[in-house]
Amino acid sequence: MRKLLLGASLLTLLALALMVWSVFQPTPMPVMLAMSLGQALGTGAFAMFGLAILIDLRRSRRVRRSTGLPLLREVLAPPDRSDPDTSGTYPVPETPAGPKPGAPT
Amino acid sequence: MPHDPFAWLALGGAALATPILLWYLIRRPQLGRSTKVILLFGIGVFPIITATGGNIAGYEATKTRKFCGSCHVMTPYAQDSEDLESTSLAARHARNEAFGDENCYACHADYGMFGTVTTKIGGMRHVYEYAFNFRQLSVEEALPRIHLIKPFQNASCTRCHSTLGPSWNAVGDHASSAEDVRAGTVSCASIGCHGAAHPFSKPYHASPEASLLGAPARHGGAP
Repeated sequence: MRKLLLGASLLTLLALALMVWSVFQPTPMPVMLAMSLGQALGTGAFAMFGLAILIDLRRSRRVRRSTGLPLLREVLAPPDRSDPDTSGTYPVPETPAGPKPGAPT
Repeated sequence: MPHDPFAWLALGGAALATPILLWYLIRRPQLGRSTKVILLFGIGVFPIITATGGNIAGYEATKTRKFCGSCHVMTPYAQDSEDLESTSLAARHARNEAFGDENCYACHADYGMFGTVTTKIGGMRHVYEYAFNFRQLSVEEALPRIHLIKPFQNASCTRCHSTLGPSWNAVGDHASSAEDVRAGTVSCASIGCHGAAHPFSKPYHASPEASLLGAPARHGGAP
């Protein structure tokens, strides 16, 4: 993953160099290189960055699973309203049908 | 230094992204959440700003006469347009503020909804032709070989000269040929009444009179 990010950083620098070159020297060769190769390098670098983040997320998920820690999704999920331990964060509305199953009596 | 604000936008994006990328490449910090967010700006947000600004600035640059004249075989066309004493169609139009530095593009761009796209595709053909056929030629060798791929469209003229104004119709030749001009069966320039836009490159069409005297049907002008 670190290699991916290093590669992405290098490619981005190359793409930026091409684009800046075309700004300072707007002649056919620099402009065409910036609008073709520069775009391709930049897009590729951003894709590599996205891939690195995805790999990192999957790895952290695997680690959390194996160590018994709650998954990120569970940590970030809103509290269950029917759960008395967490429902305090929300005002639970009164329901005419009576208390929900599992609610404290 | 660039004058286009989009060029400055591109430079600004690059100036912000470069220190972030160099910091990551040199320091190689631990990949925590903050590092990822900083890299998102260094690899994503700022370079996208640079690409957007650079593309628009680059596109605008491709419309200038300086850009067209940067290929050596186009030098006489650009010089003629800049010549204040030249009476060619191209030079007279270049002196018009509405054309100015973009007079090549103003006349040679295709008209219509997708005109910009087809013009740019045509421009890529110019690049191909220059790279493989004209690059090694001298200007003298190239001039007789440079030609339009299709006849110059009257629509390029009539987008400004609408053919409907009273002063235009007051000219007898205009009034008598108005329908043909609008239909494109009579050309305004080249072999038409007004002659070649770049007469130095087309000796047959050095004057409008020559074209009316049955000169060979060759279409003048830059590609």
